[in-house]
Amino acid sequence: MNPLLKALSLYVRWTRRWPVLASVLPFVPVLLLWAIVAEARIFPRAFLPGPIDVVMSFGSLVYKGILPEYLEDSVVRLALGAAAGVALGIPLGVLVGMSARAHRALWPILLFFQAIGDIAWLPILLIWFGFGLTTMTFVIVYTVLFPVVLNTVLGVRSVPIVLHRAAQSLGASRPRILLEVVLPGALPNIVTGLRNGLGYGWRALIAAEMIVGTSGVGFLMFDARRAGSVVEILLGMVVLGLLWYVVDGWMLVPLEKKTVERWGLVAR
Amino acid sequence: MTRQIRSLRAAIAFLAPLVVLVLLWAAVVQAFEVDPRIFPGVLSVARAGLDSLRDGSLPMHAAASLTRVAVGTALAILISIPLGVAMGVSPAISNFLAPLFRFFSVLAGIAWIPIATLWFGYGFGAITFVIFNAVFFGVTYNTLLGVASIPMPLRHAAASLGAGKWAMLIEVLLPGALPNIVTGIRTGLGFAWRGLIAAEMIATNVGLGYMLFLARDFYRTEVIVFGMIVIGLLWLALDRLLLAPLERATIERWGMVRAA
Repeated sequence: MNPLLKALSLYVRWTRRWPVLASVLPFVPVLLLWAIVAEARIFPRAFLPGPIDVVMSFGSLVYKGILPEYLEDSVVRLALGAAAGVALGIPLGVLVGMSARAHRALWPILLFFQAIGDIAWLPILLIWFGFGLTTMTFVIVYTVLFPVVLNTVLGVRSVPIVLHRAAQSLGASRPRILLEVVLPGALPNIVTGLRNGLGYGWRALIAAEMIVGTSGVGFLMFDARRAGSVVEILLGMVVLGLLWYVVDGWMLVPLEKKTVERWGLVAR
Repeated sequence: MTRQIRSLRAAIAFLAPLVVLVLLWAAVVQAFEVDPRIFPGVLSVARAGLDSLRDGSLPMHAAASLTRVAVGTALAILISIPLGVAMGVSPAISNFLAPLFRFFSVLAGIAWIPIATLWFGYGFGAITFVIFNAVFFGVTYNTLLGVASIPMPLRHAAASLGAGKWAMLIEVLLPGALPNIVTGIRTGLGFAWRGLIAAEMIATNVGLGYMLFLARDFYRTEVIVFGMIVIGLLWLALDRLLLAPLERATIERWGMVRAA
């Protein structure tokens, strides 16, 4: 117990000095354990390859140019889909949040379509658009759209009515209220919606790539499964995990925090 | 009595837009004579629904899907709450493990489908594993966070009042982490449900996802649309009638710990 405690206290001291370590070091024991289990051949090699095999297949796939190309495909699809989802979602959310009539008419429909879920659309989309980019784009836009809309509505409605009235009595026109009261007030929720939406959208993209399968990281993994190559499946999982870890942890979470700090007062 | 009338009116107000949507759908299909292979009419979807009820295929697929969800979720919750509490007790350990669990909860669900089918073969095992894994990492991570977010003074106070390990667990740690645990279950199930549909399209021969994908092979859009409606209604029922009230009640009852 004692050396363990010592190691832990050393770890705490180090991470305080270099915060980056805190998001790297925890993975070391897991990698070691993985390597030991794989090397000990508890499971057949083809079933559970070690980390070194995965790194080597990473090297060869990068060298062949397959991985960069597929990764680029996936990321571009996600970015385009997310951009479209946000561009549609925020105005729709503001409309539904601002107008009581629109809210009454659209809210149940939004809830229902959100519940159907992205992936359930795949079969009929395949009939409409075939196996291709349109199908995948549709799925991602659909997935990103709903969390953004629902959260924007929540955000718009959370702006206290007092603020509306104050702006109005100071002579603000409707567009100015929208720009200077409603949108800033709703921003923290909008960013949360974007983060949720991307989280779902990214999973939907993987599923769509597996099922529709023309290119992308999901396709890479599923193709590897067909060929029985566990190494490439594991590689795909590591790449996906790392990618999302970086996007979420280094971009979305700070963005959310900054927005809440800057504009979040309204909610309280 | 008036309360009943009011809730009835709320229900009608909620359903009215959906009824309008169905009428619109019927009118559009009628007016433009849409090819049933592109989009089915209301009546043919209703007929497909009745048929699937009569020949027992819908109950069979729905039961298969729900069983998988129930088994996977129950297993995951049983394992992940004790694990999360154990890891969250020490701040140093929970700080150390949090990034790991974040990494895996990010990967959870759909990304495991290929390797799950390789390890467990097509069928019940692989799909239940995907659900288990989506719920497991979400709940463990949230439990860890929940226990870690309990203010130290509360734990010190309980300890100085003579609380043993057991009393500490039952009366401080678990209630304090409960709001987070329930939130974890809700988001985990959200991912698991999507993972379930995707996995069933890929890796089985029974279940709602499979029902949709099979219908696609025969261009039976009425079965597809009916299946989508069933999937939507099931999730709405699960989320709105079970998970959301549970979350609200937990936060109202035990949520003070976080506000403190």
